Amino acid sequence: MTRRATPKLGAYAALSGFGLVAALVLGRPEIVALTAPFLLAVGAGLALRAVPRFTAEIAADERGVEGDELGVRIIFAASATVDRLDVFVRLPSGLDVVDGEQARSLRLARGEQREVELTLRASRWGAHRLGPVYLRAHDPFGLFVSEGMLARTPEIRVYPREDTLRRILQPRDTQLFTGNEVARRKGEGIEFADMRPWAPGDPLKRVNWRATARRGELWVNESHPERNTDVILFVDSFAEARGRDAGTLDLAVRATAALADAYVARRDRIGLISFGGILRWLEPGLGTVQLYRVVDALLDTQIILSYYWTGIDVIPRRTLPPSALVIALSPLLDGRSVDALIDLRARGYDLCVIDVSPVPFAQRPDSGIDAVAYDIWVLRRDALRHRLQRAGIAVAEWREEAPLQAAIEEVRAFRRHAPVTRV
Amino acid sequence: MTLAGVTAYALSGADTVGFAGGAVAGVGAVALVAGIVLRLPFAIPWAVLLAGSGYVVARVHHSVADGWAAIVGAALLLAAELAAWSIASDGRIREERAVVFRQSAAVAALVAGAALVSFLLVGAAAVSATAGLVLTGLGVAASVGAVAVILRLVR
Repeated sequence: MTRRATPKLGAYAALSGFGLVAALVLGRPEIVALTAPFLLAVGAGLALRAVPRFTAEIAADERGVEGDELGVRIIFAASATVDRLDVFVRLPSGLDVVDGEQARSLRLARGEQREVELTLRASRWGAHRLGPVYLRAHDPFGLFVSEGMLARTPEIRVYPREDTLRRILQPRDTQLFTGNEVARRKGEGIEFADMRPWAPGDPLKRVNWRATARRGELWVNESHPERNTDVILFVDSFAEARGRDAGTLDLAVRATAALADAYVARRDRIGLISFGGILRWLEPGLGTVQLYRVVDALLDTQIILSYYWTGIDVIPRRTLPPSALVIALSPLLDGRSVDALIDLRARGYDLCVIDVSPVPFAQRPDSGIDAVAYDIWVLRRDALRHRLQRAGIAVAEWREEAPLQAAIEEVRAFRRHAPVTRV
Repeated sequence: MTLAGVTAYALSGADTVGFAGGAVAGVGAVALVAGIVLRLPFAIPWAVLLAGSGYVVARVHHSVADGWAAIVGAALLLAAELAAWSIASDGRIREERAVVFRQSAAVAALVAGAALVSFLLVGAAAVSATAGLVLTGLGVAASVGAVAVILRLVR
């Protein structure tokens, strides 16, 4: 801790010195009587000054979900009396105080151990670094203060709130491993696919006895195998539209977490690409561990302003398997991400775009040229979506107030009915 | 309040010089109030200096040492302490009752001790005869030494 004298000490010392000299010059004993109190205060303060001896530690609940209440405890142990200790905990945006005081003054007796508790509400997802915690100890007469801070503070990881999805998007192609997706090709499985004449090597259990009886020769059933799929979640972090409490990136992250959870539950492999000022990626993987990896990577996603023109060439090849379903969550605000999506489709990827609409975050001006500009912007967004749809990309607009499921159903409908487009 | 009391006491002399001293002390009281309201800590020593100067000006024509000077000195210290506390106090910081009690006790003890010391000094001044050059020289040396010790300790 850094120790320093307060301005009060200098003022009292100056008053004392001035008074003593004045008393001598003017020869008035009253001036000595006026000066003596300040001299006494300085003397007492200097005599009783001591280095504050205490330790402080901070502990907090390390994980939570948006909306959860999290506990923070600051534990003090004093080996000497601290008459006044001011404590201030700086909180990052996204954490709000529910119970307790962010700033408080307390007294620590010698040998005392105190615990100051604070209850926070996680209002926004993210990896929040708590603190720093500022400490300021005063001496008994306020002539000296010692200031310091707790440099090592815990990180609180707040996971995004997830929507429950009843149905998710099914990819066109499946992979080799067993999963929940019925493959288009034929093989060992449960779902009936077709019948064909028996061939040497076919097991007896696959013989269709009714068809065999009707046709007079052995016929066997063919089935579709259940396979897993590769799903790449593509989060556009080039730009966002943001209101006071939420923004398009918040919605995209929540939707990505919900989709990741749903696909992992189906034993699909999921990967992540955060495409923006800083490119982050996770190669596709299976299971709960991969889900945690994805969500942890999402917590570090943020908008970083960049003018660097980047394309999908910078994405590692193994991150984008050829037959993967790519689900992009983008506000379609940055031309680089739009071009990257069109490029992905042109390379034959099975691509869906959920347009996390920035429109609710921009207020339409009442009238004048600004209102016209706003209307033109909204129309241009419609045109952009149509351009993507003409390229064969399933696009659905998703607004904050609507459930994610609605946007997914819109994408499903497009994929079911739209003609195959070659770009 | 305490500076207003000092001002009133200075005005109680009821002659022209007493009014002038009271006016100076009144300016000090106003400066202190302004310093508290505007949260200007540097206003405190100036306010105390003005109030003390006003009191001294009011006592210029009195040849006998004033017995109430000890109370005035303690009042000046009390005013300075309370003003400094007011300015340093931040409504956003919740103070525990023990902190407030402890600080009140410290200020009270300091003011009481200061009043006692000042009484002793005034008493000693009242009983002493004309000091003479040697004693004056010793007083100057003691004063300069006291200031030097303070400055050394502050550094």
